[in-house]
Amino acid sequence: MHRKDKKAAELLQGTLDLLVLKAVSLGKMHGYGILLRIEQISGGSLDIEQGALYPALYRLERQGMLETEWGTSENNRRAKYYILTSRGRVQLKDEESSWSRLVDAIGTALKARPSEV
Amino acid sequence: MLRFLQWRSLFRRNKFEGEMADEFAFHIQGRIDDLIRNGLSPQEAARRARLEFGGKERYREECRESHRLHWPDELGRNIRYSLRNIRKTPSFSLAAVASLALGIGVNTFVFSVFDSLVLRPLPIKEPARVAFVETASGMNAFSFPDYKEFRDRNKAFDGVAGYRISVMNFERGGEPSRMWCYLATGNYFDVLGVKPALGRFFHQADDVRPGASAYVVLSYESWQGRFGGDWSVAGKSVRINGRPYTVMGVTPQGFHGTETFYWPEVWIPMMMEPQVEVGNPWLDIRSTWNTMMLGRLRPGINRTQAAEDLNRIADDLARQYPREDKGLRLRLAELGFMGSNLRQPIEAFTGGVLLLASLVLLTACSNLAGLMLARLSDRQKELAIRVSIGASRLRIVGQLLTESLVLAILGGAAGCATAIAACKLLSGWHAPVDFPVLIVATPDWRLMAFAIAITIGTGLLFGLGPALRSARADVNPLMKGSSGVAIFRTRHRVALRDLLLVGQIAFCFVLVFGCILSLEGLQRAITLPLGFDPQNVATAAVDLGSAGYSEAQGMLFQQRLAERFRELPGITSAAYANSLPLSIDQSTTSVERADAEDKGGRRQEGHANYYEISPGLLETLRVPLLRGRDFNDHDNEHAPPVAIVNQTFARTVLGTDNPVGKLFRYGPQTPPIEVIGLVKDGKYVSLTEDSDPALFRCILQEYNPTSTFVVRSRSSAATVVSQLRKEIAALNPKLPVYGAGSLESMLGFAMFPMHAAAIALSAFGVLALVLTVTGIYGLVDYSVSRRTREFGIRMAVARKVSGCCA
Repeated sequence: MHRKDKKAAELLQGTLDLLVLKAVSLGKMHGYGILLRIEQISGGSLDIEQGALYPALYRLERQGMLETEWGTSENNRRAKYYILTSRGRVQLKDEESSWSRLVDAIGTALKARPSEV
Repeated sequence: MLRFLQWRSLFRRNKFEGEMADEFAFHIQGRIDDLIRNGLSPQEAARRARLEFGGKERYREECRESHRLHWPDELGRNIRYSLRNIRKTPSFSLAAVASLALGIGVNTFVFSVFDSLVLRPLPIKEPARVAFVETASGMNAFSFPDYKEFRDRNKAFDGVAGYRISVMNFERGGEPSRMWCYLATGNYFDVLGVKPALGRFFHQADDVRPGASAYVVLSYESWQGRFGGDWSVAGKSVRINGRPYTVMGVTPQGFHGTETFYWPEVWIPMMMEPQVEVGNPWLDIRSTWNTMMLGRLRPGINRTQAAEDLNRIADDLARQYPREDKGLRLRLAELGFMGSNLRQPIEAFTGGVLLLASLVLLTACSNLAGLMLARLSDRQKELAIRVSIGASRLRIVGQLLTESLVLAILGGAAGCATAIAACKLLSGWHAPVDFPVLIVATPDWRLMAFAIAITIGTGLLFGLGPALRSARADVNPLMKGSSGVAIFRTRHRVALRDLLLVGQIAFCFVLVFGCILSLEGLQRAITLPLGFDPQNVATAAVDLGSAGYSEAQGMLFQQRLAERFRELPGITSAAYANSLPLSIDQSTTSVERADAEDKGGRRQEGHANYYEISPGLLETLRVPLLRGRDFNDHDNEHAPPVAIVNQTFARTVLGTDNPVGKLFRYGPQTPPIEVIGLVKDGKYVSLTEDSDPALFRCILQEYNPTSTFVVRSRSSAATVVSQLRKEIAALNPKLPVYGAGSLESMLGFAMFPMHAAAIALSAFGVLALVLTVTGIYGLVDYSVSRRTREFGIRMAVARKVSGCCA
């Protein structure tokens, strides 16, 4: 039980990081905004607890993919904004391309017919 | 600094926590607002928002972990948990802390002695550029005329200073007392680059004409002790050997010249030598080698170049003064021990003891590793549960390592406290000799670094193995409800505990056998015949030269005092000499056969230990007289010069076993001396020396104002000493008495290295044995407890106990 959970989380972690980078790459945003943006761009199919977003954000900040600054939100409250760094941009590009390669490969594999083997 | 770092990290942490709370609150508030906009009631919106966000505490912790801020928390938890565990198993903890305290304490103590004797640089300017000058054969002194040549003609040194350890009678107001000093040339303080704590130091210009520079510089300690730290002491007058001297200044605290173990009270300009060493002036005598030399190298000159430069001068001297300086070669040595002859054995000894001490610590470590492993087998259930509820292996290893480090730190702290206490004892210990020997072992940064490194190293050494092992353990059998024996099943044929056991026994063997062998060697050295019998002999010494006696007065005083001693009740004999074998004050002289040139021109030369003794001294000390006769009262200045020699002297200098009637002399210009007696070989300078030639002259023929009286009594020597003092005071109440006590305790100086070594070695041996026995017991106990089931089955099947014991 425990192990399975952990595996799921690990699988999720990679994709969550990618989605966060993608969301922030669209413009600087605070945590809640990033969540909404991810839901929006992924068609709402991501089923995680909202709090799980923050460890990912802190990790990416620590890794130098994201920068933070405090600013004022649209409804005039103090909020922490995340900005993609150049390093984050490079990372996002890398991950995007390797993700598409993986998707292509899996897609091709799944389309295989008995006659082609 | 530490406080600042703590505050800074605390501040950063508070900021981090506050910002994280704000961020989470902002998120939840934003969600609530959105949900209300979507038509939910405020209460329902708040509930949903919190639910959707999930466990705040969990994510906070994950954020901290992502930000690497979690470890102070975890460390705190680990330490608290470790302390709880330590309290839970007091006997194990006590045993662990005690054996670590012993191991670390012994190492720290030995290291601090090593550090203060060998490693620590002297408190002088750029100590690396100052070197001691000795002859290539290891002799550490030169004649003063030769010193002046080296000082003035060298090109490699900024300055070459001459100095000598000496002693005089010091008087300030009341009673005179004996005081040890350095005689130092005027450039001494400038060459060393030391600045006075008070007043000024003498310089080259203050030390030109013999007898004209009656100045003293006080050591910091004697300024504090004898002058009560009087700030106006400079310019005050004191009396030395009855003459007035002016106090010039005070040396800085901690500076005590260049000999690590010697703590003189004053420095006196070298030109005062004839006034300090009354009756023995040698400043102009090229054949008396009493001046030690040290020099400060010019920048950019290395020691080889400097030695070459000095040897260039030595070659000139050898040509100019072949009789005194033939074959003179010089080399440079480290400061601190009057040349390398003393430094090498001290370094080797302390280094060897340090090695032994580290072996003791290794034994303690392997012992503790075994005990830790055994104890972990009791805790396997707890660990398995922690693993199964999600603790990472790293975390378990961290936890176990924290436990062993906490133990190590407790042990290290106790060990350091013990070591510092032992250092205090040692620093306050005055060797039972008339000589200011002090080994001041004060803790410094090097010692602290050593103690910390050794503590952490120890903790890792005994903790890492067991911790890694337990982290590799397989949880499943335990969770399935098995009794848990499987958790530490070894995967290799050679188990960690077997290695530990073998290692421990090996260490123990090395230590115990090493100790036994060394002790045996020491025993042999100690029981080797001294050449005299110190039992029931008391001594007391006076220096008649410093007290102002002329030769005639002095000789009369010596004889009268010896007579008074002989008349005391319970005294069987009394005599006197300038110095006794195995005391600190030893002299040598050059000797050659007087008929050497007649026999084919082959001169047999050598050095011999030299004593001036009164008639009856050999009998009082029970030195066996093998041939010939002892001195008598007729061997005085009017009689032809005679001497008694030992067996080695007879063999090596005179080339015969029966030297009685043979002639020898000190040098080609001196009159021949006839040998009238032969005594058995003895020990003269140290207990470990090989047999050296020794030569005894009659003090009636060769007067010496330094007189050590020896008295043999029927009862123990200690009771006689006060009577001796009384008799001396009856003849001259103002005469300082030194070296009063039993001869056996006087020998403490010669015996001290032996005793220290014997005590250290036995202590290490016993320590290692105790540690190993407890360690092996622990390991065997553990391995039996692991295999109880197997034994049960074996016994059930074989019905024999013997099979299990095998």
